Amino acid sequence: MVGKIAYFDPDVVTPEEIIMAAGFTPFRLLGDPTIEHNIVNEHVPPTHCVWAKNVFEQALMGLDPEIKGVITSHGCDCTNREFDLWLENVDVNFLFYLNVPLKRDKLALKFFLSDLKELISQLEEKFKVKIEEQKIREHIKIMNAIRKLLKELSEYRNKMVLKGSEFHELVKMAQMSNKQQVLDTLKSKLDDLKNKPPFSDNSLKRILLTGSVIDDTEFLRFLEQKGFQVVADDLCIGSRYFWNVVDESMDPIKALAEYHLTKPTYSTKMPSYERYNFLKELAENYKVQGVLNIAQKFCEPMLYDHPFLNKKFKALEIPYTFIEMLYNREQYQQLSTRFEAFAEIVQR
Amino acid sequence: MSAKKSKMLKATLGLKNEMGRHYLAIEQAFRDGTPTAWATSGTPVELLYAMDVQPMLPENSATISAAQKYSQNFIELAEQEGFSYDICSYFKTNVGAVMEDVDVFKGGIRKPTFMLSSDVICDTHVHWFQVQAERFGGVPHYTIDVPHVVSNTTKRQREYYKKYVEEQTWELLEFIKEHTGHDIDLEKAKKVAANSYELSVIWKDIYELRKTVPCPISTKDTFGGLFPLFTMPGLRSPIRLYKKMYKEAKERVDAGQGALEKEEFRLMFEGIPFWYNLKYFAMLERFNAIIVYEPYTYAFSKFFSNPFETITKERLLKDPIECMSTLMLSFWYTFDLETRVRWFKETVREWKIDGVLMHNNVSCRPNNCAFYDLKRRLSDEADIPCLIIDGDQNDPRKLNVEQTNNRIESFIEVLRKNKKR
Repeated sequence: MVGKIAYFDPDVVTPEEIIMAAGFTPFRLLGDPTIEHNIVNEHVPPTHCVWAKNVFEQALMGLDPEIKGVITSHGCDCTNREFDLWLENVDVNFLFYLNVPLKRDKLALKFFLSDLKELISQLEEKFKVKIEEQKIREHIKIMNAIRKLLKELSEYRNKMVLKGSEFHELVKMAQMSNKQQVLDTLKSKLDDLKNKPPFSDNSLKRILLTGSVIDDTEFLRFLEQKGFQVVADDLCIGSRYFWNVVDESMDPIKALAEYHLTKPTYSTKMPSYERYNFLKELAENYKVQGVLNIAQKFCEPMLYDHPFLNKKFKALEIPYTFIEMLYNREQYQQLSTRFEAFAEIVQR
Repeated sequence: MSAKKSKMLKATLGLKNEMGRHYLAIEQAFRDGTPTAWATSGTPVELLYAMDVQPMLPENSATISAAQKYSQNFIELAEQEGFSYDICSYFKTNVGAVMEDVDVFKGGIRKPTFMLSSDVICDTHVHWFQVQAERFGGVPHYTIDVPHVVSNTTKRQREYYKKYVEEQTWELLEFIKEHTGHDIDLEKAKKVAANSYELSVIWKDIYELRKTVPCPISTKDTFGGLFPLFTMPGLRSPIRLYKKMYKEAKERVDAGQGALEKEEFRLMFEGIPFWYNLKYFAMLERFNAIIVYEPYTYAFSKFFSNPFETITKERLLKDPIECMSTLMLSFWYTFDLETRVRWFKETVREWKIDGVLMHNNVSCRPNNCAFYDLKRRLSDEADIPCLIIDGDQNDPRKLNVEQTNNRIESFIEVLRKNKKR
């Protein structure tokens, strides 16, 4: 099967292995901060998540013809409810809503398993393919290899050898390209880095980046211009994509369900306060000088969690800043002083 | 234009006593050491009553704060704590009210034995209780995760969705037992369910009367009148109140009397009202317009607002847990778009509605998300005029009264022209 199955996912809980086993290339839908919101304003009220609106705007303008279907994975109230608007208005033959559970216990796992099986059966029915367990197993192996490579590469951010922005590009590439090509690129990048010395500029401030979906690499470059190096993150275009691996010895569908329900907690899942545990672990292990929490404007899950995270990091005496941004690049400069103020705090 | 006041039912005056009884029962529970639980709307409150747990509904408390003009103050307190201007005003009202430790007359609410939330209406409900459970120093919190039903959800999918909810409902009963020592008595659960069903039946019957032209009941009866449905489902006393409301409304129907002296325009109001300014709705009466249907208040008549399955009394009494779980999957207030379009069309036809007012409530994204497409489809497919008005359920800062007045006035002119066609 030639083509892509895209996924619209405010987290990173869409099982790419199933898409690959159906013969498609998984393709993460990203926002484009350089476009204006026009058509989408006829469908979504102004106070809804700016990132989700941006992705929807692009879909309304027309998806890449190679995209044969879209999977929306359960995220927040905005993205969940917008699924019906996609069905109503986006020109694509296959749209599946994946009900990734809000909870992460045994009952949730059992339910998620049923929903993954439903996804498989709808893909099979729609595209007249057979998604065999063996194929899923093979793709789990490929994906695990990618995860391991990314994890290894991510350490080079910590060693101050690889820029946070460069790493961000790599993760994006991994989520949007043919996985064999991804493997080759990551291996070659790793070879390059092995002999590379650390940056000469040792004034860079080591920060942990958290927040909503951050898909514009330009933003990370902007942070670097402000003197920050992202040494760790818990983002979907980041560590959440590769931190753990899928158990290769289990029933493959069950293994995928378990993998997604045991990865570090995100703010769209419950209890979202558990997200702090992973952040604390990262902050301590990577000896960060500050934590930067970036929310896309109207990103409700982040808005509910921010006061808790603020309190917790204060207690740890780790500088923490929360910044809400509109989804356009002008915002970076407009909010420049806030980042500069954060740099000042981190310096002390 | 002369101001014409709509007539509220005399029986509705009994609502104050009814809600007073609810709050007294809460106080009594604290005095007696009876377990208490916070619950979000959309959860099976009946099961709490069946297990001798006194429910407390923070959403209801938040509306009291708004009606008593305290909500803005509480919201601003929550914002000072770091909660955004852009999130749910019920939540922030509750945060402020708890911070200030105010009494029930201002929307105060005490620390419960445990909390019960679900995401059937919104994820905010779950975040809300997480925040407050932590504020109280750690209150046990159970969440019923309700899978999200979308326009292309199949029957097959609904079956395993239902199973997941039902399994959690059984787990909830264990959770309650663990934290209160109270076990489920299925016979008692059936009695409570039967009362809840009866309450729903009468509310449905009251709504049936609203089909009559002129409409015997205005929002003066229904906006507040809905509270017993979600705070006291399963008790006998609200049944008596609703029966009185029904009887009086029926008398009006038989006498050909409407709630309005002269009824010219029949409207639907979609969304949660502005609780801090309920008088605002009296403004419509200047145009001889009356709201005859609100999906929000009808939604709580849950046995009769399920588009996918019929829940008969027999089925309910046979298996109350299964039925309560089934009902949690769909809520009129937040149906998927396809079902919403279908139900709006049917409702407009049956209740002889001239136009729909849609409250773009910035506090409630799950409700307003599909408004523009809903409006377009109702207009294109059924020639139903709709007006979207911006505001907020509990935050007076977000309602521009003059701008809204102007929009409504123009909308009424459109309806007037339509009538002349």
